[in-house]
Amino acid sequence: MRWGMAIELKRCVGCYECVLACKAEHFLPPDIFWNRVLIGETGKYPTVTKLIYNVRCNQCADPACVKVCPTGATQQREDGIVWVDEDKCVGCRYCMIACPYQMRMMYEDENAQYFPGQELTEHEKIGKELYPHQPGVVQKCVFCKERIDAGIEAGLTPGVDREATPACVISCPTKAIHFGDLDDPNSEINRIIKEKHGHPFHPEFDTDPSIYYID
Amino acid sequence: MSQIKPYDFMVKYQQQKDWIDGRGNFIAFAFFLGGISGGLYLAAAYFDSLLGMFVAWLLSLLMGVSYMAHLSHPFRSWRMFMKPGTSWIARGFIFIMLFIGLTTIQLILSQWVPEATGAITVLKVLAGIFAFAQSIYTGFAVSYVSAIKVWNSAIVPILFVTCGLSGGLAILLAITMGGDHAQLVMLENVIRVVLIALAIIIGVYLWNTTYSSTAASDAVKRLIGGSLALLFWIGVFLFGIAIPIIISITSYFAGEASSGLLITAIVSEIIGGLALRFAILKAGMYTPLLPAE
Ligand code: SF4
Ligand code: SF4
Repeated sequence: MRWGMAIELKRCVGCYECVLACKAEHFLPPDIFWNRVLIGETGKYPTVTKLIYNVRCNQCADPACVKVCPTGATQQREDGIVWVDEDKCVGCRYCMIACPYQMRMMYEDENAQYFPGQELTEHEKIGKELYPHQPGVVQKCVFCKERIDAGIEAGLTPGVDREATPACVISCPTKAIHFGDLDDPNSEINRIIKEKHGHPFHPEFDTDPSIYYID
Repeated sequence: MSQIKPYDFMVKYQQQKDWIDGRGNFIAFAFFLGGISGGLYLAAAYFDSLLGMFVAWLLSLLMGVSYMAHLSHPFRSWRMFMKPGTSWIARGFIFIMLFIGLTTIQLILSQWVPEATGAITVLKVLAGIFAFAQSIYTGFAVSYVSAIKVWNSAIVPILFVTCGLSGGLAILLAITMGGDHAQLVMLENVIRVVLIALAIIIGVYLWNTTYSSTAASDAVKRLIGGSLALLFWIGVFLFGIAIPIIISITSYFAGEASSGLLITAIVSEIIGGLALRFAILKAGMYTPLLPAE
């Protein structure tokens, strides 16, 4: 089993809903983004093309971050998900340096608030209990592994059932993001990648990403 | 990453900040200290300078302290032994510990049981191996990062070792000053060769890197003519190479340099070594994910 995503670039309207869904799902502190929407352009007037890429950790099959981590805090599960054991991370930042996609970030300021000078919002208070983030350790997208694990335990199928599928995928209003098992030749995600010629982002980085983009 | 404006993120060439800003400064210091400590131990073992080996041991301890200061969770640092199979930082941590351990025993024996010559020689050889490892691994830790093209060069480890050796030799020169004249002359001769080698390696590195990729050539341009030019030309070139080489050549022709000039050369060489680590780390640029402007 290897969880993966396929993102249809033509469907993405750059609404940032996936970014917000991720923030809410993991109670991410200010300045921390596990996924992003990159906006750029190519070409010269009058033939300019706008580029909108929704990016997150690629859960690479051959991840540079796992190799460089000296403590084993950054690990890869059998289903391909790369995650950080916060209790083992020493904060050396080698993984941040090594990830060619720059998908890792350090949570440093534990006093940072969304509304400085005011009381924490109810959401922030709940987050500190439900999803505490350790300061001084590295964070990144984990494909909502908690949702996947709980979903599978409840007999659900990630990528098919909403409760077992990453928050960004189910929140996308244009259904631009697909999720499923890349190792299953009959999975919907493999069909989409094959039919629509999905390709990894920057394959030259040589990390074998599990996220495919469809032009 | 928070210093990066959201609209710049991965759409422009981005300087790496994690190993240079804030706590990141300590990693540059650690790499510098590891280099000179290794170089000094090797030189001191060769010239049989007990004081030199002791200073190398102290510098290695300082390197460890600098490393700890760089970590957000230094009390977990024992975990850094865990992945020597793939991580250069883990390997380096092991090299530092082994170097400090072996040198401690060797220094104790050399000072208080000098008749144990067999054991001292074996310990010197082993500590020498780890001194070299401690010096070269800093280069490998950097050159392993394929994401940063200006670092991803086989020349970086050679550059760091040579620079460490030149700094180490300079410190040994300072320790030897006022001592055995023949040894001083020999040291000066070795330093001359190492400095010329260092200048050549820096030239080859920059030349070679310029042609490896756009991100790397962009970084080299920043080093020699952009925002890092002052650090490179004054720190690395002037202090690290030009001043020591000029003093060294002057002393060669004049027969003997004054101690004032020698001290200038020594201090200058050490500043140059530190500037080199900062310059290389600061030059690290990520390739943008979307086409750059
Ligand atoms: S995208 Fe970066 S952080 Fe994610 S698995 Fe790949 S190398 Fe690691
Ligand atoms: S910062 Fe943490 S997760 Fe990253 S390499 Fe260091 S110990 Fe591993």
